[in-house]
Amino acid sequence: MFELKKVEKTFPNVRALKAIDFHIERGEIVGLVGENGAGKSTLMKVIYGAYQHDGGEVLINGKPVRFENPRQAMDKGVGMVFQEQSLIGNLTVMENIFLGFERQFVKFGIVDWKKMAAAARHQLAKVKLSIDPKMVTSKLSFAQRQLVELAKVLTLEERVHGDLVILLDEPTSVLAKEEVQLLFKLVRELRSRASFIFVSHRLDEVLELSDRVYVMKDGEVVDHVKTSVATAESIQHKMVGRDINKEYYREEKQLSYDPAKVLVELDAISLPGKYQDISLTLHAGEVLTLVGTEGSGREAIIRTIFGMQKPQSGSVTVKGRKITTYSADAAVANGIGYIPRERKIEGIVAGMSVYENLTLSQMGRYSRFGFLRIGDEKALAREWIKKLSVKASSEYADCGNLSGGNQQKVVLAKWRSGGSDIILLDHPTRGLDIGAKEDVYEMVRAMSADGVGVILIADTLEEAIGLSHTIAVIKDGEIQKRFDGKPGHKPSLFDLIHYMI
Amino acid sequence: MTLEKLKKHFPWITLLTLVVFVGALDSNFLRPENLLQLAGDISTLFVMALGITFVIYLGGIDLSAQSVANMTTVLATLMLPIFGASTAVICVLIGALFGFVSGFVSTKLKVPSFIATLAVGGIALSVGQFASGQRALYMDAVLRDQSFSWLTGNIGGIPREMIIALVLLVGALILERRTTIGRAFKAIGAGELAAVASGLRVGRYKMAAFAISGAFAATAGLLFAVKLSGGSPEMANGFLLPAIVAVLVGGTPLTGGVGGVLNTLIGALIVAVIRTSMLYLEIPATAQQIFFGVVLIAAIAFTIDRGKVRTVK
Repeated sequence: MFELKKVEKTFPNVRALKAIDFHIERGEIVGLVGENGAGKSTLMKVIYGAYQHDGGEVLINGKPVRFENPRQAMDKGVGMVFQEQSLIGNLTVMENIFLGFERQFVKFGIVDWKKMAAAARHQLAKVKLSIDPKMVTSKLSFAQRQLVELAKVLTLEERVHGDLVILLDEPTSVLAKEEVQLLFKLVRELRSRASFIFVSHRLDEVLELSDRVYVMKDGEVVDHVKTSVATAESIQHKMVGRDINKEYYREEKQLSYDPAKVLVELDAISLPGKYQDISLTLHAGEVLTLVGTEGSGREAIIRTIFGMQKPQSGSVTVKGRKITTYSADAAVANGIGYIPRERKIEGIVAGMSVYENLTLSQMGRYSRFGFLRIGDEKALAREWIKKLSVKASSEYADCGNLSGGNQQKVVLAKWRSGGSDIILLDHPTRGLDIGAKEDVYEMVRAMSADGVGVILIADTLEEAIGLSHTIAVIKDGEIQKRFDGKPGHKPSLFDLIHYMI
Repeated sequence: MTLEKLKKHFPWITLLTLVVFVGALDSNFLRPENLLQLAGDISTLFVMALGITFVIYLGGIDLSAQSVANMTTVLATLMLPIFGASTAVICVLIGALFGFVSGFVSTKLKVPSFIATLAVGGIALSVGQFASGQRALYMDAVLRDQSFSWLTGNIGGIPREMIIALVLLVGALILERRTTIGRAFKAIGAGELAAVASGLRVGRYKMAAFAISGAFAATAGLLFAVKLSGGSPEMANGFLLPAIVAVLVGGTPLTGGVGGVLNTLIGALIVAVIRTSMLYLEIPATAQQIFFGVVLIAAIAFTIDRGKVRTVK
């Protein structure tokens, strides 16, 4: 019914989708899995009209279509339930449901609110949500908002002739277990109204809910199986393209750290709404990983150590000195380096060359009386390009044009060349291909060997387990459990998840 | 060659095309003495544009430059009998102070720079009006020549104003390309969040850029006052729009991060040629701002980096 044939999407420097074949039948639930950066989001965006494919065909009932924007896709029955919810908090539920489609309730230029409320109730009944449609959306719980979002997409049923395809993007990521089951039950019941594409990185859930699964890797569909015959292991294997083994995370290079040398000490720091009563110690040569779901407070803790957020109570001690001024420049002066998740926005400055990026955090060291010693800067850049085998044409290359992995190397080199010995890594491997990930793991081990303390928020749990000496599991801003991660005695995925959710 | 790559070369191609076009209109235009005059006439405006460049380069805007220049013409005239040659230094410092205040309001109080500089410009304008008593003031010719002879006349046929503008350009160019401040400006313009995450004191650099812009605006006002031998709170009116146009058509987009002071030189020359061509085309001076307004919109629309602008309100 809905079909993609050899669909291509290319961005500058990246072929994001390579000859994607995909189809979904009426009433089907199809899973879409893949690691971060495999091309799932790009594919979804092509399906719901946010991106336009530049090769191949999108077909509905055999007829080629082209969506210039999400609205056109909606007009053909393709709707999206967003992961980061798209509801507007200060509008009522019904206003959100019919946002952009209020005309049906308008008479002589005036909205008939009663009629809209009735129509909204009808939509909410489809998702079995009994709330007042006149409620302000921000008062709803997260799960309720998700259902409102689904109800909003289901208004397509009345508007569009033909079949509906609804995309669910990571709908379960912040739901409690019972809420997930309720959602799944609902989706199964709604099969009579629509087909669903279910995108998630939780493989067990995908297998439970879907009829078929598409597995993506590096912009390609690498496998396509019926869930009745698939196993989680085989799919995982296809997603990663190799067995995940100890070698992958360089476990044999994991040395024990120096417990006598404390670099960072958090003493019962609290920041209401973000984290409470966090006490952690980072030693020289240690990789300390913060594990938790999105929004558990991990990022706020890292940002506090880097001085970008100030705790309301408790204290941060860096190398024996208690921090009094919370600012990024003070943190940098204390030898702290931050490798943020948003690499392209906070990590590198696109439009500046490799050498300009490298010295950005240490211009004082490469200048005299405010005048830059550009020759020395370039020499430094050449040295680190070689050291980390950065694939850049030269030290003049614009960092914005490098691949993700090489950008990450430049950010890392920026801190390492400046002598930072406390490195905060926030999702350092996000969006990188396997080879580039391995480079990052290699660099983490090299830093540990040099006595650098690393605080890590890993992209996957496997990565967290594989890389760390110590793991702190955080939930709702509090540390739930600490694990020791000595090689051979590492906790299992299950151990961690148990405390995460 | 893609459009993106071509964009970088657009300013000087525009300049060349315009020169050829106007030259074809009237061959007198291409005479060296005419071109020299043209460049000389634009000097004051160019100095103002140089200062504004720094603010636009890091992604802000300075709408106070013209008012600061206006105020300076008045203050310079009033101070000349008291302070003599030091008047120049005091004027530049006052300009820098006004710029610094704009920067402080915009970075510390989080007021968007266009409104912060508009407000500070209003203050500067009013200071000028109050100090002058709403009258045009005149400098004493003897005093002026004693203190500011180095600002008037010619050296080897080249107007001194122009030489000063070129010296300021070289200074600004060194600041932009060779100093930590210039590098920080570039980083802030191209990726402010990354600059913050690198430990740069972004707020201070921003305030510095506004202060530099204020100092350049005051310098422009001073040049103007000396040239016309007097001051009035309306003397530099009509400068703001062409000065911003010069920065933008020169190739420093409103979103910042690329371009720079050398681009502003080309931009200022484009403005000069456009002005002259309007004489040839017999467009009255009063109608010129219509044209500059249109060019400004076109230049912004063409150069702005839409990737950096999430919503426009």
